[in-house]
Amino acid sequence: MKKELIELRVNGRSHEIAIEPSKLLLDALRQDLDLTGSKRGCDDSSCGACTVQVDGTPMLSCTMLAASCEGQEITTVEGVSEHGSLAAIQKAYGDWGGSQCGYCTPGFMMTVRHLLSQNPNPTEAEIRGGLSSNLCRCTGYSQMYQAIKAAIDAEQKGMAASR
Amino acid sequence: MSLPDFKLLRPRSLDEALDNLAKHAKSSARLRIVAGGTDLIPSMRQKLFEPEYVLDLRHISELSGIRERKGSGVEIGALTSLTAIEHSDVLRRRYSVLTEAAATVASPVLRNMGTIGGNICLDTRCLWYNQSLTWRKGCGFCIKKDGDLCHVAPGGTKCWAAFSGDTPAALLCLNAEVEIVSPRGKRRIALHEFYTGLGDDHRKLQPDELLTRVFLRETAADYRGVYRKLRVRGSIDYPLAGVAVVIKRSNGHVADARVAITAVNPAPLVVKGATEALNGKAVDDAVADAVGVLAAKTAKPLTTSALTPEYRREMIRVFTKRAVLAAAGN
Amino acid sequence: MRSKREWRRRGETKFLVIPSAARNLLLCFANDERPTTNDDFMTDFSIIGKSIAMVDAAGKTTGSGKYTDDLSVPGMLIGKILHSPYPHARIKRIDTSRAEKLDGVVTVVVGSDAPNPYGILPVGHDEYALALDKVRYVGDNVACVAAVDEFTAERALELIDVEYELLPAYFDPEDSMKAETNLIHDNKPNNIEKDYHHVFGDPEKGFAEADRIAEARFIANEVTHAAMEPHSTLAAFEIDPQTGNPGRLIVQSSTQVPYYLQHKLSLVLEMQMSQIRVIKPLVGGGFGGKSEVIPLEIIAAIAARKAKAPVKITYTREEVFWAHRGRPRTIVDLKTGVKNDGSITAVKARVVQDGGAYCSYGVVTILYSGALLGALYDIPNIQYDGYRVLTNKPVCGAMRGHGTVNVRFAFETQLDELAAAIGMDPAEIRQHNLLKPPCVTVNGLRVQSYGLPECIEKVVERSGWRQRKGKMPRGRGLGVACSHYVSGAANSIIRSDMPHSTVNIKIDRDGGVVVYTGASDIGQGSDTMVAQITAETLGCTIARVRVIAADTDLTPIDIGSYSSRVTFMNGNATLRAAQDVKKQIATAAARKMNCEPGDLIFRSDVVSKKNGLQGPRGDGRPRPSGQAEPGSASPSVSGHVEGQILRGSLQQKRKDEGPKEQLSFEEAVVAAIDFHGALSGTGSYAPPLDARGGKHKGAGVGPSPAYSYSAQVAEVSVDEETGEVTVHKVWASHDCGRALNPVSVEGQIIGSVWMGMGQALTEEMVWKDGMLMNPGLLEYRSPSSVESPEVEAIIVESIDPEGPFGAKECSEGSLAATIPAISNAIYDAVGVRLHECPFTPERVLAALRAKNNAKRINLTEGVDPTSPARFREHGGSLWYRGKGPERHPLDPSRTETPAAVAGDD
Repeated sequence: MKKELIELRVNGRSHEIAIEPSKLLLDALRQDLDLTGSKRGCDDSSCGACTVQVDGTPMLSCTMLAASCEGQEITTVEGVSEHGSLAAIQKAYGDWGGSQCGYCTPGFMMTVRHLLSQNPNPTEAEIRGGLSSNLCRCTGYSQMYQAIKAAIDAEQKGMAASR
Repeated sequence: MSLPDFKLLRPRSLDEALDNLAKHAKSSARLRIVAGGTDLIPSMRQKLFEPEYVLDLRHISELSGIRERKGSGVEIGALTSLTAIEHSDVLRRRYSVLTEAAATVASPVLRNMGTIGGNICLDTRCLWYNQSLTWRKGCGFCIKKDGDLCHVAPGGTKCWAAFSGDTPAALLCLNAEVEIVSPRGKRRIALHEFYTGLGDDHRKLQPDELLTRVFLRETAADYRGVYRKLRVRGSIDYPLAGVAVVIKRSNGHVADARVAITAVNPAPLVVKGATEALNGKAVDDAVADAVGVLAAKTAKPLTTSALTPEYRREMIRVFTKRAVLAAAGN
Repeated sequence: MRSKREWRRRGETKFLVIPSAARNLLLCFANDERPTTNDDFMTDFSIIGKSIAMVDAAGKTTGSGKYTDDLSVPGMLIGKILHSPYPHARIKRIDTSRAEKLDGVVTVVVGSDAPNPYGILPVGHDEYALALDKVRYVGDNVACVAAVDEFTAERALELIDVEYELLPAYFDPEDSMKAETNLIHDNKPNNIEKDYHHVFGDPEKGFAEADRIAEARFIANEVTHAAMEPHSTLAAFEIDPQTGNPGRLIVQSSTQVPYYLQHKLSLVLEMQMSQIRVIKPLVGGGFGGKSEVIPLEIIAAIAARKAKAPVKITYTREEVFWAHRGRPRTIVDLKTGVKNDGSITAVKARVVQDGGAYCSYGVVTILYSGALLGALYDIPNIQYDGYRVLTNKPVCGAMRGHGTVNVRFAFETQLDELAAAIGMDPAEIRQHNLLKPPCVTVNGLRVQSYGLPECIEKVVERSGWRQRKGKMPRGRGLGVACSHYVSGAANSIIRSDMPHSTVNIKIDRDGGVVVYTGASDIGQGSDTMVAQITAETLGCTIARVRVIAADTDLTPIDIGSYSSRVTFMNGNATLRAAQDVKKQIATAAARKMNCEPGDLIFRSDVVSKKNGLQGPRGDGRPRPSGQAEPGSASPSVSGHVEGQILRGSLQQKRKDEGPKEQLSFEEAVVAAIDFHGALSGTGSYAPPLDARGGKHKGAGVGPSPAYSYSAQVAEVSVDEETGEVTVHKVWASHDCGRALNPVSVEGQIIGSVWMGMGQALTEEMVWKDGMLMNPGLLEYRSPSSVESPEVEAIIVESIDPEGPFGAKECSEGSLAATIPAISNAIYDAVGVRLHECPFTPERVLAALRAKNNAKRINLTEGVDPTSPARFREHGGSLWYRGKGPERHPLDPSRTETPAAVAGDD
């Protein structure tokens, strides 16, 4: 297991880390950069709890090699909140019960933000489709729809969600 | 579960990749190729592959993208993501069966990662195979990996692991061809020749060969295409049965048609006789049902996945019938 | 009968261990009066009944909240567990020497390193952290490696040589019950963990009076919690400064039951409980899967002891499936009699549960299955025969709706059949058999608040049942079902009269309110519940309240988050603690305000006189926002200042002023500290004696201080060609007593309904000869958002006389109604009755084909208990003697003796 020095750009900052070539992006984020927001929920690339954005596109960090992401811009859930405050979607997830145990929430944050960036006014069917990469075991997804709608409203009103 | 230890090769160009292959790809056990990673990485976790080298194609930009070539069809780079296929205007307009199939693969995020080349090369799947090392030890291993017994067809020596890609069924309907490149040269073959029909050695691909491009002919364009699949969940799942149908109509009758099925055999298969059964007909329930029966006869599902073989074969019949009716516009 | 005060004192001497607060606690206990609700019982609350974000929501949405696997400490090792590949085998030899020699391996532990048995139930101490002499299921724990990283630990596992002698294994419960030799546990004849035979009333007479009797076998297949967070434990020993040797054990773990974990660790590691600290970080869902001590929690501790270094073990998803503790596959032979007017005359149930290889909660599960036949409807005669059977599979335990779900599926489906047989509307037959509370059921369950009538009315009305039922196009239908659940068990697992929950509150001169509660928030929101009850009672803003929870060093004992007990029991303890401290504040404030303590109102950070000026009022409507009332969050300027000024100058200031008309919360707090010297309160809760059930054997399980009630209508469509079922919408009403935080209550209802839908349609653990075929989230199909229906949650508030602010449980009860609501809707849609869940498309299609006499679908994998041979098809794992295992380069048998599979037959 010979380590290699690689440079990872995460949440706008560059980090030089020495890792094994077989190291998964998720493990590099969690173990080497202490960004533990991204979670491991499965081992077969099915649950989405580890989702991060790579060059703006949601991907499973448990299914990518860290070294392979060199040169790409990685955004994790830690990079979502804005200027020390909750982003509208984060606030709305809290207010509307979109998050219960919270373990899947970071992954949802990444996919939902991407969904809204591509499609600022999704229909309910589009929201359902957009959420279908991530598994949640607490909410039955229903309150997430409300949260997402509230976040859209809040964004449109240019204020914090549902206040 | 950690990945096995390996050396990572990260070529930036196809030539560099071929150099890597020439040097290190003495056998498939020694080197594995990774693109989107959605198939290989979970399998490496389960120690289904413990290669010395992993060749990472993600940064070979020349193998990504969809190019329309006036009058001679479309060329798709093997590294084009399934999301890109799903959203491609030209494919949606002219080869809609492919965009439809691509749009049903796994989940949106997995489609962001997965590539068309990866979907074509997808390893075959079986509940007795896609398990951890400890699990497989418990069952005494299987014929596809480390053992010599098949659990789904006891006593048999053939591996029945099911090919579980969605897009190849659509590509078979489109008579697609694939380009295969190695340090020794380049060849182009019809997709239906790419598969062996064996579960354990399912592709005709040498260890040093790369699938680089997919070609869709002009003559396959502008068919009405429909892809239907059986799965338990509406997302994430691999198909348990899949059927692609393309039909070109003329004066209310079928001028040309093809049907292909997937996830019920060790290879995706064109349904033989379907074209003949449809050509010249005005499609009605009886015609569609007859094609469904042909497709069900082609399907040989075994207990490689959830739901019973009998049910999956029956669903091939039903889904084919429905897809034929939909593609015929009825 | 022991007096309340007496049990409280017993509790306090044994458990309350916070020295600084001990004196105050004694005082408080002496003051504390018997249960029941509060002096200022109002309907106009400022925080209760308002939808607020959970107090830990921001940590979850930003990723900054820490779950156990997010933690690391210097020098931490990674532990990996070697699991048995065989379902039933004797361990003849374990040789760890090759593994120990691997570079990076610090230690390897085996069963003899911690040979004391344990189990969650006192009657079920049959588990070992690591197998001593036998493995009993594929996945049983054999050894553990602690190494510098995961990769090394995993490699080392392959170097542990274990010689097994294979034993015949039992996979089917009804087969297992016939076993006489090679028993799974030597002290359990016929592999029966426990059987109960209850007769209440006169069932034979009841059936004789019935006009219609239905009798059928129902099967509910095995499901598991699949919480998103895989179990994780970090164990470390502190060095004792006196001896210089390893001293206290600190365990951080994903648990629903920190106190039980502390207790079992003490048992297995032979350490005093006081030397063990269990901390629960954020927990990523439990659903019962973390409601007992899971092997990794003890293994991590013994590995840390032997390695002399902190050890963290996090399960892989496959290991989570092996650890399991889910809902057992249950065979229910059910017979129900009704009169032509719809009255239920008698019920007879024979229930066989496939419990897996160890006891776990099994004895409780099989008792719940019988006990909860009562307390929903008025059933005069009940016969129950329950068998909890051992098999060589992972262990079943408690899962959301513990014990009631599968029997409720059978009962509600059969009741639907009987309604059809006598030509009665399915909703009406349920309304016809309501209890008349307050009452005690024939099996000894005390029912007080009973919102079921309103629950049924609400879902009938909202779903348009009367207008739409029976008038929908073919293939689409509506079904109704009801369910109920306990708000905590009236008798704790470890029988005692001690409180089930205790809560301490500390308020200091900064005006901050710190609540110390043992309640374990596992995502259901108990920390928020505690904060709400505290803030409402003290009349302060929720921003003042800090909740310190589930840390056995800091927080008083609470027996854990299971059986939906936390809001009711810990909520009551919180309420009493808050009332206790409020009383102290009121005494001091009243002196300053020149009035009686009883004349004071605490609200919105202001203490005022009843007839005088009052603080701002809420509009009484739930609002999903971070604050209950706009503008009430920030304390007054004077409060800020006064809260921080020193006592001397305060006294000077007080002299300068006359009696006050109102005080800010800080002023009142400072006055109280001034007066009493210190400010803390405590409260505890134990269920009342009259709610603790009857006297028969097994009567301890089922009684609860209060029951929640649910009614649901499901709308489904069925594709008759494919058998695929789509659930379009579920109307779910739930009587939760009072909704303390409506958005959370709705979330719990929806989540329960949704999980029930998973069990109804897609989720099933599939077995082949003891091998779990789907140990992952890809093949164990928890529904995705695409097929998840809209759930309309309807809150019904029956205001329980003993619940905190009238609240009862809301997290489990709804689950059980969903499965029969769906099966009944399928019947309404296409006319087939499904007696086995999940209703997979092939099962539905097979039923449709059978009904239409069409070509049969042969479900070769159908789990048919009457024909176990078919259940076993595709065997080969257990008795296979191929060369397979020798082929893997890492397999020890390749270089060592090939004994691994040679011992069969």
